[in-house]
Amino acid sequence: MRAVYGIVAREFLRFLRQRGRVLASIGRPFVWLVFAGAGFAAVFAGRNEIDYRVYMAPGLLGMVVMFGSLLAALSTVTDREAGVLRMMLVAPIRRSAVALGKALGATLLGTVQALVVAGLLLPFVQLRPTLAGTLLGLVAVVLSGLALGALGVVLAASIRSIENFAGVMNFVIFPMLFLSGALYPVRHLGPALRAVAYANPLAYGVDLLKHALLSPWAGVGYGGELPVPLDCGALALFAIVGLALAAWLLGREGGVTRTAFRERR
Amino acid sequence: MTAAAILARGLGKDFGALRALDRLDLEVDDGEFFGLLGPNGAGKTTTVHLLATLLAASRGSARVAGHDVAQEGLAVRRSIGLVFQDTTLDRDLTVAENLRFAARLWSLPDRVARPRIDALLRQFELLERRDDPVRTLSGGMRRAADIARGILHEPRILFLDEPTAGLDPRARRSLWDRIRGLRAASGLTVLLTTHYVEEAEPCDRVAVLDHGRLVALGTPADLKRAAGVGSLEEVFLAHTGHPLAEAEGG
Repeated sequence: MRAVYGIVAREFLRFLRQRGRVLASIGRPFVWLVFAGAGFAAVFAGRNEIDYRVYMAPGLLGMVVMFGSLLAALSTVTDREAGVLRMMLVAPIRRSAVALGKALGATLLGTVQALVVAGLLLPFVQLRPTLAGTLLGLVAVVLSGLALGALGVVLAASIRSIENFAGVMNFVIFPMLFLSGALYPVRHLGPALRAVAYANPLAYGVDLLKHALLSPWAGVGYGGELPVPLDCGALALFAIVGLALAAWLLGREGGVTRTAFRERR
Repeated sequence: MTAAAILARGLGKDFGALRALDRLDLEVDDGEFFGLLGPNGAGKTTTVHLLATLLAASRGSARVAGHDVAQEGLAVRRSIGLVFQDTTLDRDLTVAENLRFAARLWSLPDRVARPRIDALLRQFELLERRDDPVRTLSGGMRRAADIARGILHEPRILFLDEPTAGLDPRARRSLWDRIRGLRAASGLTVLLTTHYVEEAEPCDRVAVLDHGRLVALGTPADLKRAAGVGSLEEVFLAHTGHPLAEAEGG
């Protein structure tokens, strides 16, 4: 639909305008690689099965998708505060088209950022994926972007203002990152945390990226832990449920409209 | 299309315990310039949002351009343009990018949208600023761009919600010139909300609202004659017992 395309095009245009955001999204994984990577590599030293920085690569790409997609979708909050959301809600389109447009825009941004970072990061850690691995990696990035983008729109439609943003960062983004297998294998976690990890869309995305990039190390326990179809299915399910929920939340009068159309009293 | 442009029957809205709009009966004719006059909090914006399908009514019903607001939201939104109190433009995008975004939201094909955007930019004296970010525009120019955005899809009915709020006198005058020009050229129905009597004066008919209730309805001349007073300001005072200008600041 044309309106969905319009919303996606606007997201992309805004992203290109914000040069700081582009640089931050590309620089962030390298900061993690250098600082977290150096520390963890020292802890892991002695078990020479895999260079920790190689192990981190799929997780860092997952992190790029997460920041890219989730933050893009969360911009629905600023759209509401700036009034732009009202332009979308008064247009003759369904709320689901608005939710889909925002989620697809987020997917596009997450994917573009992940591809740029992959182009720099993989040669840097001397990881050379096979053709099949590259294709699977692309699927992982797009599906993760969609699932996280949908989650971002759900969060944006539920939180009232930009002030709650820090809460989202602390209670959503960081737990998602640490419980995703990006920094250490999920199987090392206890049963309770492991259960939480499997409610985390990023965990499936990172697992899929490990299938794509770390297959040579699968034998020593550093590849993907879940079957590929399960990863793909879980991500698709997160995306579909998230989109349906986001459309409902955006249509709900008290959710977005009462703050979007605040009465002057 | 001889049906009324807007028809409301017992339309009302509550926000929790607050009765924002009681029971509004209203009929606006095709091509009419209709004013909703009242202080802040009178229920003007609530009325506009109910008619634009952005809020769901607590009671009553309304038809806009012949479509039921509860059942045919998409058809209603297709027939109307709405200029909000506060700008809805993306400040980081240029004027032209904003209009292109709006054209896509309204599903206008590029070959239709492009010449229309050019014509509107010329008409609203924004051609030289078309590639400037909206945040660099003056308040008057932003408002002009907002209105251009509101009529891009050639709606049958245009809602203007307090369109002159925050504008200087010169920008106000030029805005009213544009609205007059649009109405003369296209027979557009305009529903205006305002708390300035001088803006309600040129309307064909005016509905006076106070505390969510319709207190008077008629042409400005009839309203003044019926109340035996010389201005709409006094009309408001005669019907409500309190002056319009000082009623509940906000």
